[in-house]
Amino acid sequence: MSDRIVDGVRKHTPSILLFFDESPFSLLWLWLSTEKRKQIKSEKIGIILYIAMASPGGQGGGAVSTRGAGARRMKWALELSLGNARGRGDRQSNQGDVMYPIGYSDKPVPDTSIQETDKNLVEKRCWDVALGPLKQIPMNLFIMYMSGNTISIFPIMMVCMMAWRPIQALMSMSATFKLLENSNQQWLQGLVYSVGNLLGSALAIYKCQSMGLLPTHSSDWLAFIEPPQRMEIMGGGMVL
Amino acid sequence: MKPPAKMSKPTSLFVIFFSLFVMSEAVFEDQVGKFDWRQQYVGKTLFAHFDSHSQSSKKLFLATDKNIFASFNSRTGDLFWRHVDKVGPEGTIDILLLHGQDALMVVGGGRLLRSWDTNMGGLNWEAVLDTGSFQAACFVAIQDTVKHVAVLKKAVISLHYLTNGHQKWVENLPDSDTVQYQAVYSGGEEEVYVLGVVPNSHLTIIAYSLEDGEIIKQSLDLEVSLGFQPVLVSSQPHPARSPISEFFLQLGPDHHVLLQLNADGYTIAALRDFQPAFLVSFATTGEKTVAAVMTPKNETVSLQKKKKRFNNICFFKDSVVFPPQLYVHAFLKKDDSVGYRVLVQTQDHALTFIQQPGRVVWTREEALADVVTMEMVDLPLTGTQAELEGEFGKKADGLFPMVLKRLSSQVILLQVWLAHLWKLFYEARQPHGQVKNEVTIETLSRDEFNLQKMMVMVTASGKLFGIDSKSGSILWKHYLENVQPNAVFKLIVQRTTAHFPHPPQCTLLIKDKDTGLASLHVFNPIFGRKSHIAPPALPRPILQSLLLPVIDQDYAKVLLLVDDQYKVTAFPSTKNVLQQLQEMASSIFFYLIRSDQGNLSGFRLRKDLSTERIWEVVLPTEVQKIVAVNGKRPNEHVHSQGRVMGDRSVLYKYLNPNLLAVVTESTDAHPERAFVGVFLVDGVTGRIIHEAVQRKARGPVHFVHSENWVVYEYWNTKSRRNEFSVLELFEGTELYNSTVFSSLDRPHLPQVLQQTYIFPSPITTMEATLTEKGITSRHLLVGLPSGAILSLPKMFLDPRRPEVVTEHSREENLIPYAPEMPIRTEWFINYNQTVARVKGIYTAPSGLESTCLVVAYGLDIYQTRVYPSKQFDVLKDDYDYVLISSVLLALFFATMISKRLAQVKLLNRAWR
Repeated sequence: MSDRIVDGVRKHTPSILLFFDESPFSLLWLWLSTEKRKQIKSEKIGIILYIAMASPGGQGGGAVSTRGAGARRMKWALELSLGNARGRGDRQSNQGDVMYPIGYSDKPVPDTSIQETDKNLVEKRCWDVALGPLKQIPMNLFIMYMSGNTISIFPIMMVCMMAWRPIQALMSMSATFKLLENSNQQWLQGLVYSVGNLLGSALAIYKCQSMGLLPTHSSDWLAFIEPPQRMEIMGGGMVL
Repeated sequence: MKPPAKMSKPTSLFVIFFSLFVMSEAVFEDQVGKFDWRQQYVGKTLFAHFDSHSQSSKKLFLATDKNIFASFNSRTGDLFWRHVDKVGPEGTIDILLLHGQDALMVVGGGRLLRSWDTNMGGLNWEAVLDTGSFQAACFVAIQDTVKHVAVLKKAVISLHYLTNGHQKWVENLPDSDTVQYQAVYSGGEEEVYVLGVVPNSHLTIIAYSLEDGEIIKQSLDLEVSLGFQPVLVSSQPHPARSPISEFFLQLGPDHHVLLQLNADGYTIAALRDFQPAFLVSFATTGEKTVAAVMTPKNETVSLQKKKKRFNNICFFKDSVVFPPQLYVHAFLKKDDSVGYRVLVQTQDHALTFIQQPGRVVWTREEALADVVTMEMVDLPLTGTQAELEGEFGKKADGLFPMVLKRLSSQVILLQVWLAHLWKLFYEARQPHGQVKNEVTIETLSRDEFNLQKMMVMVTASGKLFGIDSKSGSILWKHYLENVQPNAVFKLIVQRTTAHFPHPPQCTLLIKDKDTGLASLHVFNPIFGRKSHIAPPALPRPILQSLLLPVIDQDYAKVLLLVDDQYKVTAFPSTKNVLQQLQEMASSIFFYLIRSDQGNLSGFRLRKDLSTERIWEVVLPTEVQKIVAVNGKRPNEHVHSQGRVMGDRSVLYKYLNPNLLAVVTESTDAHPERAFVGVFLVDGVTGRIIHEAVQRKARGPVHFVHSENWVVYEYWNTKSRRNEFSVLELFEGTELYNSTVFSSLDRPHLPQVLQQTYIFPSPITTMEATLTEKGITSRHLLVGLPSGAILSLPKMFLDPRRPEVVTEHSREENLIPYAPEMPIRTEWFINYNQTVARVKGIYTAPSGLESTCLVVAYGLDIYQTRVYPSKQFDVLKDDYDYVLISSVLLALFFATMISKRLAQVKLLNRAWR
C-alpha cells in the first residue's frame, strides 16, 4: 500500500486484524476492538466500521479502499516527501524558493462531486455495517468450540463477552440507524443487523446452556423447595 | 448386599486420592484444650485407703463399683492415675488391701489376684486363682514382716507370696457345703484362722499352719441363735499384731455400741453407746487409734482412745444426704496429738474430703460417672439483649408508648454500657492476679454464636447437674431423693430461653421400674431451681410421654403422658391447652412398643383425651425381639429436599417425619441362623415402609436414623467382622406433594437403596452431627471401645457409591464403592483425650451453621465442637489480621500519595 496515503483506518486495522485472525488470542482482540470502538465513537463512522469488523470485513475494507485509491477519490492528500520530483519541478517553475504550505498543489483538484461509484461505496459500507454481526458468528462458533464446556474463568469471560456485545449493539440501534441513513436499503440493512446480533446472543445463550449455566433443570430450583408442612404430630417409644 | 471380595486397583487409588482431598480435620497442636475439655471420673467408692507408709504422702487409693482402681491427690482431689478394668462381673473388685507400697486386689469374683505398685500405678504381678466365689482375704505376717496373703474362697483357702504371687499352698475347707466361711484372720503367729458360720447352728473356727497348710485345730463350740446377724467393726492396725481390744457392735440400723475386750480375753466392757449413729470407723497412727462415729445429727464424733475424750470434728451442711461410707485417716501431728482426715462417700455418689476442723478440702461428683441422659439448653440473653428482644417481641400499642418504650430501653442500654465501662475501669485498677474470671450462674449469658450452652445431665443416682459447656464447671446440682436405683429417666425441654420473661423449663420424668409409677420434676435448667409449677398428680403407671409442638399461653410446650389405660394427661393442662388439644386431637398420634410382647401399636387421640388404637404390628417374640426403636430428632432440619444427580435431575428424598426405625434381633443365637432385622414403620399408619433382614448377623445393633437414611452396625457371624449398613430412602424424581406431608396420603412406597461396608473395629455408640439449618454435610460420630470418638463422613456411607465410576457419578462427587471403611486417626475428634467406656454421644446445634457441639459421656465426660464441612462461616484462628489490615492501610496511603504526586506532575506539565 502506498505510504502517501494517510488514512487512520488503513494505518492500524488491517495489520491488527491479520495478526489476530490466525492467532488463538481472540479474546484480547475482542477486548481491543470494543475498546477501540469506544474511543472513536464520535469520530468518523467509516473508521468504526473498519475496526469493529471481523477479519473478512477487514480484508474487504482494505480491498475497497485500495480500489478507492486507484480511482483517486481522496478529498485531500498530504504531500510529505520533499524528494518528489513533481513537487520540486513545480516549486522551481514558480517563485524560486518560496515555500508553499504543506499540501499545496498547483494542479487543479480532481473532480470531487458525488459520482455513481461513491454511491455504490456508501451502499457497500452500509452493507458491511449490517452484515458485521453475521460475519462474526463463524468466529464465535470457533471460539466456542475452542473454549469447551468446563466452567472456569476464561470460558465464562468469553461467554459474557459474547452475550454482552450483541446486547450492547442492539441497545445502540439508533446510532447504527443514523449510520445507515444514507443508504437506500436502510430498513433492510437495519433488519439484517439486528438479526445478526440476535443470532449472536442466541449463540451465547446456547453456549451458556451447553455449559450448564441456565437454570433449566429441576436441580437448579432444588434450593428453593420448602420442607413440606407436617400434617400429623407423632411421638412415643418403647414402654418405659 | 454383600461387599464384593476385591476392589480394582484404579478404584482404590481413586478412593485414596479423593479422600486425601476431602478430609484433613484433626486439631492443631495449639488448639488442644481450646474448645474441648474432659473430666475423668471413677464411680462410687467401694474401698479406700490412705497411703500411710510415709508421713508426707498425699496419695489416696480407691476401688470403685465401676471396676476402677485409682489414685488421687488427697490435697486437691485430682486423679494421679486410674486403671479401668472390664465392665461387669469379670472386672469386679472384690477387695483392696494396702500394705506399704503394695496394693493387693482380688478381681472378678476371686478370679485373679493382682498386686500394684502404688507409687507409679504399675502392675507388679498377677496370679490366677482357683475357681470359687471369693469370701475374704488378709495379709499374713510372721514376726512383724508381711510376706504372704491369704485368700479365702467358698471351699478353698490359698496362701500366696507377696513378692511374686506364687501360691505357697492351697487347702480345701472341710464341710464347705454346709459351712459358710466368711472371714480369714492372722494374728502374727504361725497360724491362719478361718471363721465359718453354719446358719442357725454354730460358728466354726479352723486354724491352719502357715508353713504347709495343715489344719492345726478345729473348734466347733460357738452356738448361734436364730436371727443373729451382728455386724462387728473392729480394727487390726498391722497384720503382725493382734487387733485392738475396742470394737463396735451394731445392734440396730442406727445403733452402735463401743465395746472393749478386757485383757483376760473373756470379759467385755461397754465403753459408750451411740444411739443414733449410722457409720463407725477406726483409724490408727502409731500407737494411737481413733474411732469415728457419724451420727444423724450430721456431725462426726471422734473418740481419742488414749484419753477417752470425745470431740466433734466436722459438720455437714448437706444435711439431707445420708453418707453410706466413711474412711478416716489419722496422723500424728508435730505436738504428738492426733489429726484426722475423713473421706466420706455420700449417697449421691459425691466423694468429700474433710480436714480436721470440719473444712471441706475437695468434693468429687462421682455421680457423673454414670450419666443417663442429657440435654443442652441455650443460655439466657444478657440484660441488654433481653431488653431489646422484649421491645420487639411485645405488641405495639400506639405511637407514643412505642417511643417511650424505645427511649426507656435506650436508657437501660446506656446504663449497662456505663456499668460495663466502670467495671473495666475498676478492673484495670486492680492488681492483675486478683481479677476473677470464673464462670458463675450470675455472669452466664449467651455468647455471640451461641456456642456456650448449659448441659443438663441426669445421673443414675438421681442427681442432676448443670454444667457450663465451655469450661466444664458444675454450676448447679440437685439431688433427687427417693429415686430407685433402677429408675428410668426421660428429660424434656418444655420451654427454651427464647421466651424472655418466662424462665426456661425442663421436666424430668422419673419412672420407678418396680411400681410403674412416675413422677415429674419440673425445674429451671439454668439455675437448677425447682419450678413453682405444680406437676400433675399421676396416680396410674405411665407408659410413655409425648412432647407436642403445641404451646400454651406461657410458651411452654405441652407434654402428654400416657398411662396404662391409654388415657392421656396433659402438662401444663390449662384451659387454653385443653382447647387446643381438642381442636388438634385428630392429628395427634402416638405409638407404643412392648418389647416383651413383640407388639407395636399406634394410637390416635380423642377429643376427651382418651385414645383409640388404630394399628398394631406383632413381631412374634419366639423368632425375634425388638431391641430398639428410633424416630427422627424433632429439632433436625433438612435443608435440601433432594439430591442432584449427574444428569442434573433431582432424586427427591423421602422425608417422612413419622418414620420409625425398629431394630430386632433373632432369639436364635446360632451363628448360622442368627439375624438382625431393621423395619421402617410409619408411626401414624403402621405401614411397614421397608424391611431389611441381615442374615447371619448378631447384635448389639447400634443405629442412627436421620433425614432419609438409617445407618446400623452389627456383627457378621459368618465373616466374623463388624459391618456398617446404610439404608437410604428416595421418593424418586417426582415429588408426590411438595407442600404438605401426610402419612395418610402417601400411596407410593419410597425407593430404598442399601449398601454395606466392613468396619475394622467394634463400636460402642453412634450419633449423627446436627446443625442449625442442616446445610452442613453430616458426619457420624462413632464411639469406639478404645475410647476414641471417630467422626466418619456420611459421604462414605452412601448407597449410591458406584462400583464402576462413570461420568455422572464423578459429577456427583460419589466415592467409588470400596468394601472397607477406613479409620483414619485424624478423624478422631478427641485426639489423645480418650473417653473411657463411651455410653452415649449427644449432639446439639450451635448458632454457627458450620459448628456442632458434641458431648460424649460414659465414665468420662468429653465436650468438643466439630465442623463437618470445615469452618466455612468463620475466619480461621490463625487468620492474619495484622498482615491484611497493614496491607490495606499501606495500599490506601500509597493511593493517596500517588494521587497527590500525579496532581503535582500534571500541574508541572501544564506549566511547561
